[in-house]
This record gives sequence, C-alpha cells and structure tokens, in this order.
Amino acid sequence: MAPAVRFTGVTKRYPGVVALRGVTFEIAAGSCHAVCGENGAGKSTLGKLLAGIDTPDSGTIELDGRAVRFADPGEALAAGIAMVHQELASCSNLSVAENLCLGSIPSRWTFVDFAAMRERAANLLADIGAEIDTGRAMSSLSVAEQQLVQIASAVGSGAQVIVFDEPTSSLSEGEAARLYGLIPQLTARGTTLLYVSHRMPEIFRLSDHLTVLRDGEHVATRATCSLDEGELVQLMIGRRLEQYFAAHADADADAAPGAEVLTVRDLTCPGKFEDVSFSLRAGEVLGLAGLVGAGRSEIAKAVFGLEPNVSGEIRVHGSIARIRSARDAMKLGIGLVPEDRKLQGLVLSMSAVENVTLPLLESVSAKSLIRKRDERAVAQKYFDRLRVKIANVDAPASGLSGGNQQKLVLARWLAAGSRILILDEPTRGVDVGAKAELHAWIDQLAAEGHAILLISSELPELLHLSTRIIVLRAGRMVGSVGREAATPEILLRMMAGLAAA
Amino acid sequence: MGVRVQVGVGVDSALALELDSHFNSLSDSNSDLLSRTHPSDLHSLSHCHSDCSILVVVSSLRRAGSALARSPQAGLALVILAASIGLSIAAGSHIDPVSGASVNNFLNAHTLIQMATDASGFAIMGVGATIVIISGGIDLSAGAVYALAGVVMAMVLRAVGPLDPFMTVALGLGTCIFVSLACGVANGVMVVGLQVHPFIITLGTMWMLRGVAFVASHAESILVPSALTHVAKATLGLGATLSPVPLVAMLAVTLAGSIYLTRTVMGRHVFAVGGNPEASRFAGLPVQRIRLGVFVLSSLTAGAAAFLGASFYGSATSSDANGYELYVIASAVVGGASLTGGKGSAVSATLGALLIVLIRQAIRTLHLDQNYEWIIIGGAMIIAVVLDQGGTKLVARRVAAAAGRRPSLPSEQNPAPESR
Repeated sequence: MAPAVRFTGVTKRYPGVVALRGVTFEIAAGSCHAVCGENGAGKSTLGKLLAGIDTPDSGTIELDGRAVRFADPGEALAAGIAMVHQELASCSNLSVAENLCLGSIPSRWTFVDFAAMRERAANLLADIGAEIDTGRAMSSLSVAEQQLVQIASAVGSGAQVIVFDEPTSSLSEGEAARLYGLIPQLTARGTTLLYVSHRMPEIFRLSDHLTVLRDGEHVATRATCSLDEGELVQLMIGRRLEQYFAAHADADADAAPGAEVLTVRDLTCPGKFEDVSFSLRAGEVLGLAGLVGAGRSEIAKAVFGLEPNVSGEIRVHGSIARIRSARDAMKLGIGLVPEDRKLQGLVLSMSAVENVTLPLLESVSAKSLIRKRDERAVAQKYFDRLRVKIANVDAPASGLSGGNQQKLVLARWLAAGSRILILDEPTRGVDVGAKAELHAWIDQLAAEGHAILLISSELPELLHLSTRIIVLRAGRMVGSVGREAATPEILLRMMAGLAAA
Repeated sequence: MGVRVQVGVGVDSALALELDSHFNSLSDSNSDLLSRTHPSDLHSLSHCHSDCSILVVVSSLRRAGSALARSPQAGLALVILAASIGLSIAAGSHIDPVSGASVNNFLNAHTLIQMATDASGFAIMGVGATIVIISGGIDLSAGAVYALAGVVMAMVLRAVGPLDPFMTVALGLGTCIFVSLACGVANGVMVVGLQVHPFIITLGTMWMLRGVAFVASHAESILVPSALTHVAKATLGLGATLSPVPLVAMLAVTLAGSIYLTRTVMGRHVFAVGGNPEASRFAGLPVQRIRLGVFVLSSLTAGAAAFLGASFYGSATSSDANGYELYVIASAVVGGASLTGGKGSAVSATLGALLIVLIRQAIRTLHLDQNYEWIIIGGAMIIAVVLDQGGTKLVARRVAAAAGRRPSLPSEQNPAPESR
C-alpha cells in the first residue's frame, strides 16, 4: 500500500533563507506523524507546502502514490488535505455555524437556509465530541474552542490528511488535554495526521512516528517508541555547534564585566510576563532564551517603554528610571532593534538616511529646520562604521537586503548614542554572510562597552554570543546559565519544561 | 554683472526649496552656490569677466533644470504646460475694444490671473489636505471650516463696527485663524482621543461646523468691510483690473508647505507616521501629537483660504466652499499623494489644483457645454492618478536599473528587492 504522503527532495527558498533543502520522507496512512526541530528548522514550512499555502521550489509531494501540486489551499482541501493553523484563521465576525459551512452555505432559492446550516454545523461538532453552540459568534469563543471548530471543519470536509501546526502553542494544559484525547480518535478512523511541534511531552504522547528537521534538512525519520527524549534532543540540535563556535568561546573570557547599567526587578505585565528580574553590565551580552510566546519580546518592549501596564522596577546606571515611552528610553541611552524590522523597525517608504536619523532629527537641525548636510554626515558616519554598502542612500529602504535593513536600525541607535542595546531576533531572515557580520558586530559592540540584551530563537546564536543566558517559559524566568555551563541540550530542556537530564 | 548672478541664484535656490528630498545632494550643491555668492562676495564677483558670470548663471540654471526634469513634479508640470500651450493655440483671439490689439482668448493676463484666483482656494487648502493625507489621515471638514471661519469673521467685524483699516484686517485674520485653529484642534483631539477613523470624525464635523455656520448666520450673506477687499484686490503695481493677491498667497502657502514637509523635523515626522506608524512608535516619535498636529494645520489652511476668499468676494455665507473638501482632496491625489500615507508633496498639490482649474477654464474658453464639466473633471482625475501610478513604477524601475549598473562594493550589493 502506498504511503498516505510522500515528500521527495522537497526544497523551498524564501528571500535570504533556504527553509527546506531536499527533504525526503513518507507518512503511513492512519498514523500520527510528528515533525520536530528547533525554531526555524523548517517544520511549519513543510506543513504549509502540504496544505497548499506555499508551493515547493523543487521536489514532489505525493498523495496516495499520485504526485500533487497545489496552487492554493482550496485545491489542497479538494484533494483531502486540511490544516489547523497555529494562528487561528477564521472569520471572527461570523457565527460558528457560518464558519463551519463557509465553503458551501446551504441555501434555498439563494436565501440562506439557517436551520439546515445550524443542523449541519451541529453534526460536525458532535462528530468530534465538541459541545459548542453553533449560534455563537466566532469571536466570543476561547482559542481552544476556535481550534475545535477548525478541527471539526477539517474532519467534516472529509480530509484524509490533517496538518496540525503547533496546535497547543496557545492552549492551557486542560484545553490541550482535550486535544490529546481527540488525536487517537482521528487516527482510529483512518485519518493521517502531520503534527508539527517542538514540545517533547506531546510528541511522545501522541505520535507513532516522527521526523526531525534541522536547518531545513531532513535528519531522521523513526518510530517514536525507538527513541527517548534525550536522543530526540540530540537529533534536533545536532553536533556541529561546538565546532562552529570553538574559535570564539574564550575570546573575551578574560574581559572583566563593567558596571551594572540596567537592573530590572520584578517586572510584571499581566498576561505577558511575571516577576522578571535581571541585571546587565557594560560589555556584557545577556541572552534571553525561550520558545515563541515565552514573553521575550514583550520584556524588550517593556524596557523600551512600549508596553502599557508594566509594574516593577527598572534602574539605569543605578537610579530608578521612569520609562513611559520609547522617547524616555532613548533619553536614557536605550535602543531597541525590534523583532520585525519591516513592521516595527523601518519606514520602508523613506530613504536609508532618513531611517537612521528619524529619532534624532533635533540633533541635526537648527530652529527645527533640518540641515540636510549634517543629517547625511551623521548617517554616513554610521554607514561607514557598520560597513553598510548601499548604492543609493536616498532610495527607499524597501529595496535593501535584510542584512542592510537590520544594520540601518542598529546604525540608528548607535547614532543616537545608545549604550544599552536590546536586539530582538537581530539575524532573523538575513542571509548567512550578513548573519556572520552581524554576529561580529554584536561582539565588537560589547567589547566597546555597550551592554547588550540579545533575544534569539536560534540556540547556536545565543550560545555563541551571550556571556549569560536567561531562560523564560510561559512568561516566567526558569533559570539562568553562564556561558561555560550552557549547552543546547540544557537550554532546550529548560525552554520546553523538562527536568535536567 | 553681479546683479545678474544674484538673480540667477535666487531662482535657483527657490527651485531647490521646491525639490523633493530625493535630490538633496543637488540642492546642497545649490546652496553651495548660494553661499559662494553671498552678497559680501558679490564685490569680488563683479570684477569677474562677464562671460564668467554668465557661465555661472547658465550652469546653475541647467542644473536646476535637470533637477526639475527629474523631480516628481515634472510630469504634472509638463502636462499643465502642454495643456496650456494647446489651449492657447485652440482658443483663438479677439480684438480688445480699448486698445484695438489682438488678444489670445486664453493666454492673456486677465484670464491667467483669474485662473490663479480660482485655484488659490483649492491650492491653499490642498497643501493642508496633503499634509493630512501624507500622515495617513483624511480631512473632509476643510470646506466647512472655511465657511465657519468666513461667517464668524464677517459677524465679528459687523459687531465691532468701523475700525481703521489695519485693525480691521488684523481682527479679521485673527478671527479666521482662531476659529480654524479651534476646529483643527477639535478634529485632532477627537481622532486621537476617540480612536475613530478620521474619515468618520471629519465627516461628522463637516456637517456640524457647517450647521453652526448656518445657524449663527441665519443663512444670510454677511458683507465684510471694504478694508479687507482693498487688501485682497490690491493690484500690487499691475494693471487696474488685475489683482494678484490670491496668486501670491497661493505661492506663499505652497512654499511654506513645501519647506514644512521637506525641511522641518515635524514634516519629516509626518512622512514617518504615514509610512509606518508602528516603526515610528518604535523610533520614539510622539505619534499621537503628530496625528493631532496635521489636522490643526489642515484647518489653518482652510482658515487662511476663508480669510482670502471672504475678503476677495466681499461677503461670507454658510454655504461658501460647499463641496470644496472633495476638490481639495482631488488636488492632493492628482498631485500624487497616496491615500495610504507616506507620500505626497505641497508643490504637487498646488499643481493638482491648477490642473483642475485649467480643465474648468478649458471648458469655458473652448465654449464646450458646461453641463459636462463634472464628467470631464471626474474622468480627468482618474486618468491623472492612473498615469501618475504608472510613472512612479517606471521611475522606480529606472532607479533600480541605474543602481544595478553603478559599480558598487563587492561584498554586498543590493540584491533583489525583498518587497514589492
């Protein structure tokens, strides 16, 4: 019997990054097949290719032995593949019944047949054992309930293959338990599941087989019972890290840390993070590790004055700081290179020069008239320093490479004289060369006495650059590890909430 | 010869001010020239041979000319120029009954000044509307602010009775500015404070403010003192039937708006907030204050236009400037302002207003059926915006191609653009 799904040499590139490289494996019909790996390993991309949200650049996907190629999710759905998304995708303004019947709303003489629609929706929900009033508005449902509606819709569409993309990432323990109960029911009736996750307990609890991806490459496909957690972690992180970073490891071990410049005590933002305390010294790179949603970016924003409702104490150079806006933070010498450079970092319609000088226009103007020559000189100084090579510094920033865009945001805060730099995923979506260059800059800036708070989902990067790493899980600090003691395994276990090996 | 140099440089620097920020390097070199020919240097320059100073004039004019050709306003300016030339040829001429000379029906001082007068209201308010649109907002209340400011000014001046001319003008202008300032603050505070889309807020205030003007004036037309009309219709040394004050006011507001947008910190902030409000917040800009400020500026331009209009025509009623808000927005978008924010220019808005008025004038000059005016203006507006979009894409492609050709440093040349 042909496998339900077979990937052969599947490759997918996004601008500046290869998400999947020649991935080949197969999934047996009626199995729950987990796909695991670190953040950025290519797990979600694989699910998206199967569900027709993206198309592979090369390689083939076979369904029951037939090669398929989907132009959009609609075609995938018609072929029997549905996806339960990480970010819930439904029409929140419509009712549960309308969402469940969205593709084919029952009608009588072009008028919606409400009774039939409610009945069909109720049947779909009963089918998976969910009890939700079909008349409620989708927006009034909890995240878990919305997910159940998605699953009911996937099952009801007659899907033979369902892709779950990190389905428990926004669920509470109790809600997740309900999902765990549903999975065996689905496989029992012959549905094939592709379960994307990096959470150890659920992988071992739910899946019968698993595939490990690392940096977009296929590492292994095994029966889940043939592995234990330690072996799986080993597969996920690989061995090459130590070699890659050996040269760097003790380069600045002898440099004494400077004075304490940023002290955070009991920082709390309800629903986002609680009781976070740490201190940061000049010349130090403090890493913040955690899974997506652990509250890392929120802490960065709170220190930079962009989160309302923050309680706790922030001290800069020993004195209590009142940071209510980014401007306050800026005046205290704090700079933030945000997570999403296109959405939060840059005004893409403005030029490279204008993006650098945006927060410091007052310093290059006289009587509120901008002195363009001074403005240009300031920007050029930091372009030279960071070796930003741009053919036309007056062209919109939208045309620049990811690495150059990131350097613009960094240049901005250096030009503003920031001594405390918060870098949130500074190398996300930049190519390998630019990444190495940014790493060198982070080292260099720390050596010059900048205090750096580094947030990264890439463990190699954190381990490479940080002098200390704080691990967060679900908005709480779960530990702090020095450079000497930190290994990917320890961090991953702390992030995922496993006991030390 | 020194004087001639000064004239050349004067033209040059004025042009430099109009240029978009994309051509800083160029205008910087122009200001080089300006500083080189500072009055204190003129003495030495006047000793220079005449061909030397002519050379300076020619080269600076050529540089300004090529910058103008590359500037974003070039397309619109060319269209207006071409349409004017075509209209001059097609218009025919008549014999002036007094002098007996042959006069072109379009290309004569009287018609041109009249067009500038018609355009001045749209252009002045268009500069304000452009500022709001660049910030990502929209202001539908400009016409109503115009009506209210005019009516209140006329009523205040009627109530205080005769004053000396200077005091009349000062009180009138002060009233218009005060009323429009208050309206602008109200708009801005509501947009920022209530977090309702500016379209809805200003749609509401558009009706409310016009309603206030209607109730306060009892729908009467109120005469304004002749002192104001004397100022607004001053001939400034031109012929007795020509009154260029609206033209001058239009140019002054355009220049001020252009300097504000391209040279001031606040103007730059407006572009940033319109281009990406989230990134502006992350860069520490006072986003809410900027959003409030643009509505104040927009209302102030309406107040200025109201002062000019009521003074020029000698009266104010609550139905003045009815529907102007849409002409004003049309001027801004014909001038290339993007309703999604982050893009626009004060000079372009004025050119947009001129184009709209030119189309109306063409209908009259060519004796076309005036009933078709709205159809023609509506169609022309859509065509202008579509052409502008096409032109922008073409320029972007050329800039990208030029950047690709330029020899650049080996390790990191701009790879393919990530967005668009």
